[in-house]
Amino acid sequence: MSDNIYLPWIATITEVRPETADTSTFVVTFDDPQLRESFTYLPGQFAELSNFGVGECPIGIASSPTWAGSLEFCVRAVGTVTNAIHDLDVGDKLGVRGPLGNSWPIEEIEGKDLLFIGGGIGLPPLRSLIHYVLDNRERYGAVEIIYGARSPQDLVYKQELKQWEEQPDVDLYVTVDAGDGTWDGPVGFVPPFLREINPTPENKVAFTCGPPIMIKLVVEALEEMGYADANIVTTLEMKMKCGVGKCGRCNIGDRYVCRDGPVFSFDQLRRIPGALEA
Amino acid sequence: MERKKLQKSDLSRWLDRIAQEHELIGPSEDDGVIRFQPVESSAEIAVEFANSLIPPKSLFFPAVESLFSFHKRGKDIELEATEPLDRDRVVFGIRNCDVQSLSLLDYVFGQDLEDVYYQERRARTALIALACPTPPRSSCFCTTFGIDPLSSDGSDVLLTDVGDVYLVDVVTEKGEGLVSLAEDLFPGLTDDEARQLQPRPVEMKKVDISQLREKVEALWEDEYWHKMSLPCLGCGICTYVCPTCHCFDIVDVGSTLEGERYRCWDSCMYSDFALMASGENPRPTKRERIRNRYFHKFSTFPSRYGSGYACVGCARCLIHCPGGMEITEVIKDILAKESISE
Repeated sequence: MSDNIYLPWIATITEVRPETADTSTFVVTFDDPQLRESFTYLPGQFAELSNFGVGECPIGIASSPTWAGSLEFCVRAVGTVTNAIHDLDVGDKLGVRGPLGNSWPIEEIEGKDLLFIGGGIGLPPLRSLIHYVLDNRERYGAVEIIYGARSPQDLVYKQELKQWEEQPDVDLYVTVDAGDGTWDGPVGFVPPFLREINPTPENKVAFTCGPPIMIKLVVEALEEMGYADANIVTTLEMKMKCGVGKCGRCNIGDRYVCRDGPVFSFDQLRRIPGALEA
Repeated sequence: MERKKLQKSDLSRWLDRIAQEHELIGPSEDDGVIRFQPVESSAEIAVEFANSLIPPKSLFFPAVESLFSFHKRGKDIELEATEPLDRDRVVFGIRNCDVQSLSLLDYVFGQDLEDVYYQERRARTALIALACPTPPRSSCFCTTFGIDPLSSDGSDVLLTDVGDVYLVDVVTEKGEGLVSLAEDLFPGLTDDEARQLQPRPVEMKKVDISQLREKVEALWEDEYWHKMSLPCLGCGICTYVCPTCHCFDIVDVGSTLEGERYRCWDSCMYSDFALMASGENPRPTKRERIRNRYFHKFSTFPSRYGSGYACVGCARCLIHCPGGMEITEVIKDILAKESISE
């Protein structure tokens, strides 16, 4: 981060990969070659992306810090700034302010088996950790990934899903809410799909990200399966502006999601009044 | 700390001397409204006043300020950070409640990822506080929050009106520098004067708030927040005139070719304050927004920073609320509530 916490770095878009009808991956590289070398981050952190003249919005870093040289952001065109980012193309500039926030607990989970449960565009923030774990394979146990989207067209990272499917050290389960002619996999919502798979909680930490209703039902299911709240970890979404714990917008209780989060375990969230109301 | 005196008739000479060296900011009256603003000479400064409409936090955290400008040259984009100040400043006439509000804002902007704009303004501004008049404004309640309206804590120099002269407490090196600009105007006190010239004690109604945090935290689910939110218009004036409120928005002005990024005050009372592009809103009604504001003042701010409450008893919010909502009444209501666990 710059000494001036509001000043973004300038980066160039080097690749735009469409993921779904309204979601694309933007690969960016910092213009300053020194920064390209020195910029570090942790899985689970995010950045404020600027399309200058339109504004800034917080987007999770979807790449892994084990990959040198560029950053990836998976952006769904849903608001003013994200739509303006979708108007940009390879060679165009973006502002990147970060890395911001805390991270997935990469040290605490060493030696554990890991269960990832993602819904829709909730996979990108998990993907940073998934790749980090796969690139540091000896430090972590088994990897299970459960992923669902509304339709086969709404699945992101289709290439990687294929790869993980074939990878012997990853167990991948993919479902869609509603299938189509091209889909011969499981059909149904993520929470019942999770119950069907019924992954054992022993020596395992579960990470989940997706729409609020999915997270709520996934957590209920995990708790019934015997997962302790401390072993269920999520990353929260909130309206943010400054990203540095000052503008007063994204608090739950006395915690700012931008500064103290976005990653929280459920035992942390249960101790914050109102955190689980929404 | 050194105590001197200044003849009231010499105040303008001192301030004019300061204005030759620094930007001088003081309370100045326009159509009956007191505002802290830059002045050319002491003649523009009001000495008899209760307090300003807009708190002097605006001198450090302005209602609107440019953070940087951006210029597109071909595909390249250049950013230029905006300089917050051209020269050192002296603020005359700040009240102690507002000085204490700056100490609270220092927790937000001065630590854990420092805000360079706020920090530069703080570092390059000296504060000449003016002890409160006796009696104070009837709505004032700073003592409830443990603030002494006659204290020099946090200022560089404190002036206290004791009749024909001001007692002058020189608190910091910055303050010594200001006094030394006109050393001859500031004789020391004789032993007799030191005994006789004493500030008149300020009488103010005071409420015991030692239980406030615990009481408000027990009321999270209470129906109270719904009922008490009914008169609120959601206009945000309470936050706009509050010396401790620090919520802001960040907005680009201009085109994608050239423009500026601004930071401007925002209000947690506005319905779209926490509204996300997805349509989700964690604080969808006035009930949740008002509860969030009082929790911020009495629970989450002190909890986060290990500080006192985020209210300094300046009374601006209750004076200006068009719905007649009074924070002093809210405090009484909270304290009168039985806690849920009881």
